[in-house]
Amino acid sequence: MTSISVPNEALPPQSIARHNLGHWVLWLGSVLLIVVAGLQVLDTAGITSLGFTSWRPTLYAFIAWGCALGTSLVLTRGESGQQTLFLLPALLFTIAMVIFPTIFGLAIAFTDWNLSSNTGVHFNGLDNIRQLINDPYFWNALTNMFWYVLAVFAQYAIAFGLALLLNADIVARKFFRVAFLLPLMLSPVAVSWMIGKSLMENRYGPIATLARNLGWESVAFFSTPWIARASIMAMDAWVSIPFIMILLLAGLQALPVEVKEAAKVDGATSWQSFWEITFPLMLPVSLTAIVLRIIFELKLADVVINVTSGGPGGATDTVSSFIYREYRDRSNVGYATMLAEVYLVIIIVFITLLMNFVSRYMRKVV
Amino acid sequence: MKVDAYSKMMAIQASRRDLLKGAATATAVSALSATGLVGTSTRQAYAADDLRAAILKIPGVGKGSPGDADWQKVGEMCLGATKAAIKEGEFKGVELSFMGLNNQNLHNLLFRGFLKPWEAYTGAKITWIDLAQADYNPRLQQAIASGTIDFDLVEMGAPLEGDVCGKGLTSEMPDWVKKQIEFDDLVNYLKPPVGTWNGKQYRVTIDGDCHNFNYRTDVFADAELAKAWKDGGGKGDWGVPKTWQQVQAVTKFMHGKKFKGKDLYGYLDPLKGWGGFAFYFLGSRASAYAKHPDDKAWLFDIDTMKPRVNNPAWVRAIQDVVDMIPNGPPDQLNADPGNTGFQQFLAGTGTMLSWWGDIGSNAKTNDTSVIGDVCGFSILPGSDDVYNSKTGKWDTLASGPNYSPNMAYLGWGVYVMARVDADAKKQKAAWSAAAHLGGKDLSLWCAAYPSGFQPYRNSHFNVDEWVGAGYDKAFITSYLNSEKDSYNHPNAAIEPRIPGIFQYYSVAEDELAKIYAGKNTAQAGADAIAKAWDAITDKIGRDSQVKLYKASLGL
Repeated sequence: MTSISVPNEALPPQSIARHNLGHWVLWLGSVLLIVVAGLQVLDTAGITSLGFTSWRPTLYAFIAWGCALGTSLVLTRGESGQQTLFLLPALLFTIAMVIFPTIFGLAIAFTDWNLSSNTGVHFNGLDNIRQLINDPYFWNALTNMFWYVLAVFAQYAIAFGLALLLNADIVARKFFRVAFLLPLMLSPVAVSWMIGKSLMENRYGPIATLARNLGWESVAFFSTPWIARASIMAMDAWVSIPFIMILLLAGLQALPVEVKEAAKVDGATSWQSFWEITFPLMLPVSLTAIVLRIIFELKLADVVINVTSGGPGGATDTVSSFIYREYRDRSNVGYATMLAEVYLVIIIVFITLLMNFVSRYMRKVV
Repeated sequence: MKVDAYSKMMAIQASRRDLLKGAATATAVSALSATGLVGTSTRQAYAADDLRAAILKIPGVGKGSPGDADWQKVGEMCLGATKAAIKEGEFKGVELSFMGLNNQNLHNLLFRGFLKPWEAYTGAKITWIDLAQADYNPRLQQAIASGTIDFDLVEMGAPLEGDVCGKGLTSEMPDWVKKQIEFDDLVNYLKPPVGTWNGKQYRVTIDGDCHNFNYRTDVFADAELAKAWKDGGGKGDWGVPKTWQQVQAVTKFMHGKKFKGKDLYGYLDPLKGWGGFAFYFLGSRASAYAKHPDDKAWLFDIDTMKPRVNNPAWVRAIQDVVDMIPNGPPDQLNADPGNTGFQQFLAGTGTMLSWWGDIGSNAKTNDTSVIGDVCGFSILPGSDDVYNSKTGKWDTLASGPNYSPNMAYLGWGVYVMARVDADAKKQKAAWSAAAHLGGKDLSLWCAAYPSGFQPYRNSHFNVDEWVGAGYDKAFITSYLNSEKDSYNHPNAAIEPRIPGIFQYYSVAEDELAKIYAGKNTAQAGADAIAKAWDAITDKIGRDSQVKLYKASLGL
């Protein structure tokens, strides 16, 4: 069904009344939101003393405005308004929970807000940016992120192998599919304790004992930079490989069987069949999986925080775990928020470039 | 488990022990079981000494770690002071929120048990906010900064008084509470200015903090090691080190040796950060070098807050740690103080350790401890020389080595938040709960068993009471003396009660981690810490920090 736009003059009187009512509802809702939020801002700034104890009134006014907007859409646009209504809750939720905090965070990022300071919050211009540029901990963490992102390719290779295995006709395939998915279902915090703090414990941990039996005399998984980094990567991989694997498995199952059968008839070996047919056909899924994993990897923090706190000497630190320390241990809200905002921009730029590269590459290949 | 059921069970166990252990035990145990069976134990049922003796037998030293039923029982038996001050059901309808820690399943978990009988008697209800050590400071700071204090009572350390009491967020202690908790019984160093702000008293002290020196008596009594020490040209007789110089030498000597079939390690340094708390352990190594008897300050210059952390004394302490890394257990770079104390030393790894008094109270009463019979204590080691910040020279004191126990954290206290002041009934209830937790008798039990708290009252240093509980006399004398001598030491290194102190410590931990990992020298790393500390001071406000630092040192 197509909706036809009709000028107001052509509408029947009831429709015009409904249209006007819609506008009024939206206006009322908007005025209510502006007034309540404005009063709260004035109250918080100490200009008025209306006794607001929390920001709930503004939240309720925002919800009321959302309802007014929805009502207005239905009244003014009819069926197309009803269709928009389906999107509206998600849109308003995103604005409230993502866009507003990001903008609000940006405002905080340009302040010297420290929770212990008695002098309150002050705008400090570009000081936080300058501090960030000269902060060796930030650059160290960013460099580590490069290594962690590289590790995603190793995760991908292992995941591909497992996906091929689970796609093949093996015994207890269903069981293995579930079993290999289990690490993904575990909280990284639990993994940190079960593996990093128990299995890899250097005195009684089974992995440490195995390593000793294999001839490593002084077992220490977290004392030298590269071994510590590799240990974190291994734990992260254990949790993350199933995610890539399940995406690749879905891709493998969607591949046309005819092409592979034709190759077999033509005498292609297993390796040729994989390298010349399966792998290229899987490229779109592979690239999606890798890009998604890189996005997740750039947010790596929980395993690091729980197992090494970024040590030894920052060797395993990630940008997120550094931001976490800066905010949580040092109450440096302003600077930590600036770090988070800058890192968000870096991730967006990096992922955009990566996506561009991927789509160009795909165009070339396909 | 319900208290009544527990009491009956204890009574049954007790009668078995009566047969085995004779009349002396029977007297105390029958008092306990009788009280438990009627379920209305009060202090009146005992003479004060009997009560103290009876609670110290719950569950009894060497009889496993205490649990919730034990905590409830102790809480019930110590209700006498509450009953004298509060009518039954007086706080009916009052709801209180209590924020504290859950470290090692202690702190708040004990408070719950202790306060359960208090809730039953008074009619008040408490809800709990449990926090891990590392989450504690940020949660508190966020609540303060965002004006969302959602708790009526808080378990808090004195170093944070600047952040909380200094902002007028706490309720002033009423006189009846001071009387109920027998305030004068506190050891001197925990009396005002600790617990006060602008002359007002805010804190019910439930802990006294200092680092003492814990060591393995069996290692230092071993003839083979003594011979090896002598043969290797070790200085003096083989024995417990008295100075950090000796600690270094002994740790180096132990490297590569075996004792009772296990690798032998000397002093255990925690090399991984612990939300700022790991810095105390460097402080314990540095205090003998940096705290001069003629100078009250050791962390900052008094008049300017210029950090001293990069002076030769602190750099020497840092270098000491770095020098011992090759002699420590593998993976020590990933060991925080929780690991060194509980997973290493109590579990039999390492010979020497600086820690809070928890090691002593856990050595014989914690199920995971294997060193209960071979653990000795002293105040922190001294130093042959001490750095004089005023002259910039190292002094050798005529009195011998310089000792300076590190009064790390100044102990936990319970604080009542000012938000209860508007409601007189709620305020009284909150203070009553705090006073119950800070009661004289209950505190003795906390000092003797795993609780997260160490002795902090003069009355805690009666060795006979501890022996009556089942402690070995030599062990407990050694432990209590190490605590008492630290508290009363004339050259103790006092923790500054200034806002944001954990920001300083946390930044230092990051820099220290780089030094320990070999990415920076001790001096360059210490300079970086000093620079970061200066920036924090400027951010928080140098003038106010100077003022508060002076006040915290009693100047």
